[in-house]
Amino acid sequence: MEITLLAFATSSDAFGFSSRVVSCSADDTPLTLVQRIAPQVNIASLRVALDCEFATWDTPIGAARELAFIPPVSGG
Amino acid sequence: MHLEIHFTAEAIVTPSCALPSKEIGALVEFHGIVREMEDNQALPGLFYEAYEPMARRVLERHLLELGTLHPCQAVHFIHRTGWVPVGEASLYICVMSAHRGEALRFLADSIDRLKLDVPIWKRTTRPPES
Repeated sequence: MEITLLAFATSSDAFGFSSRVVSCSADDTPLTLVQRIAPQVNIASLRVALDCEFATWDTPIGAARELAFIPPVSGG
Repeated sequence: MHLEIHFTAEAIVTPSCALPSKEIGALVEFHGIVREMEDNQALPGLFYEAYEPMARRVLERHLLELGTLHPCQAVHFIHRTGWVPVGEASLYICVMSAHRGEALRFLADSIDRLKLDVPIWKRTTRPPES
């Protein structure tokens, strides 16, 4: 299966892309994906979302189609 | 509660907030304006980026919850994306309620919630591709 990775704001600088499609399995987690595709990225300040819902780094991707990396927000 | 959430890459045009009923006693508007000085540095503007589908979902959840805490009849929320020059609004919120207390508290709390976890970001520089 494939999933679309979305990197916003400062996380797009860290990952080097704003959108990228990668292969994965349903058992993958956001953490295992990052360790595979961008192990150099420091995720300490990042949150993740699967299909527009916040998730933990250890949440299995399951059938999600979109994984977003969410740096600290600053709207307004 | 009537709720409208919009994102726009154009200058925010204040909507004509028609009163949803004759029981509206307070209409509170907020314009968040981009300031020139940021960390003692003069800036020409700010660049806003949003993960719109998620921002809309998270924001709607917050605003509906606030509606149970501070009952209001209508809320219009507009956030700008892209480059926003100094002096222009990046955010507009209009809250209508029967009494001023609910509207004022709703407005204050909605901005706090916005800054809590709604996926919108600002940068002091334009990304190269913009």
